[in-house]
Amino acid sequence: MIEIGSFIKLQRTKQNMTLGELADGIVSVSYLSKIENLKTQASPEITQMLCNRLGIQVDSSEEKAIKEKCKQWYGMLFEVNDKEEITAKYKEIQELMDRNLSENLMMFEIHKIRYYLLMRDTENAINKINELNEISSNFDKEQEYYWYKFRGNYNSITGDFSQALYMYKQSEAKINHLNLDEIELADIQYLLSITNSKLRNTLEAIDYANKALEIYMKHYDFVRCAQCHNILGISYRRIRMYDKAIKNYNLALHLGKLNNNNDLIELTNQNLGHLYSVRGESEKAIKHFLEIINANKSDNRDLLTPLASVISEYYKVENYDEARKYVSYALKLFAKYSEASPYDITPYELCYYIVHTYNYLLNEEYQKFEDLVIKDFLPYLKKRKDFGILVIYSNLLADYYEKQHKYKDATKYYKEANFAYQQITNI
Amino acid sequence: MKKILATLTLGALLLTGFTLAESSATDLSLEKEPSIFSVQEPTQDY
Repeated sequence: MIEIGSFIKLQRTKQNMTLGELADGIVSVSYLSKIENLKTQASPEITQMLCNRLGIQVDSSEEKAIKEKCKQWYGMLFEVNDKEEITAKYKEIQELMDRNLSENLMMFEIHKIRYYLLMRDTENAINKINELNEISSNFDKEQEYYWYKFRGNYNSITGDFSQALYMYKQSEAKINHLNLDEIELADIQYLLSITNSKLRNTLEAIDYANKALEIYMKHYDFVRCAQCHNILGISYRRIRMYDKAIKNYNLALHLGKLNNNNDLIELTNQNLGHLYSVRGESEKAIKHFLEIINANKSDNRDLLTPLASVISEYYKVENYDEARKYVSYALKLFAKYSEASPYDITPYELCYYIVHTYNYLLNEEYQKFEDLVIKDFLPYLKKRKDFGILVIYSNLLADYYEKQHKYKDATKYYKEANFAYQQITNI
Repeated sequence: MKKILATLTLGALLLTGFTLAESSATDLSLEKEPSIFSVQEPTQDY
């Protein structure tokens, strides 16, 4: 049953009405405050009068339709679905909610967090979180489950993975007391495996990915199975169990091809290429990166990661002509998307630095190379604690200084590379 | 000369470390986890 007090508070604040304005002539302000904070139960007559003033219908004639529409909308909140359709359905439900006292309101409000995140509207998502936080102590167990899950989604999207892990763990603890579908359990385990992987908690990432995989296999959800195989591939690569990593990536590739899922195929090729790059098998690495690049006929921004990777590999094997070719391609893409919003460009910041570093080296623009790496790239990597890449580029700079006979500078950056390496071994 | 030798020795030592670091690199962002919002889940009955 819906908590009427929370509902009234939500509708009143939405309509920018003060406690006094709503209470006027019906109840005292302090009594209304008690109703809203669930300290007392309003009589049906008072509820009716308050709802009338808010312009809300109390009968439940539209309840069935609201429930059905909410169910459909919640199922649409994934990035594969059309955003315009999601928004149209959202507006339709909102109109119904505005004129009805519905049991589904609170769950709808909680799902708005996820909706805003899908729309890449992090500002409205955090506003909704703050708004709901005031009434979150009144949530039932199921609402609490989604409340923590979607807050975790917010933290994942904004890059605060420690906080995301905390939220998902809270969600996981709630799910055991709920009668939700098994696939929902798999989803929270999948989120926990990704978040642990981001935090380099490799063994936990493996554990959760295996648990989620078991459920997805039972439900023949091959795309999610392939995604779990990707997390397992990354995790086994990190603990240097390369055969197991390759086996998982190959399974993911197979499933991606079976489902004609290009995103999945590209993701797996990127990770496989990276594995071979780390093992020093540049030829195989290049093959996987080129598969992604050649499969994309349109100038897609997502190509920047394989482009940065292939440039770095070609430079490593001293194939400078090919490196130049792909630098020029990547620069064209950066120019095309330079006016994009910061939200869209941030994930490609790393690629920007990599591409420009090699561009300056290949063009023998050494002052620009030094300026970029020292003033921008290395500080950026330090800030992100990206020690793996920091080792590579500190070392690249040290090698460069050594070739220039600037031994003092070379020593400085070899030391930085060593420091970054020590951080890696501590992870 | 002493300086050059010292730098080269340190360079060689660090290069060994670097090679090891490369083979056990744990924190490279050019490796991609899948998206958290992917795939249509079956709808839930609340």
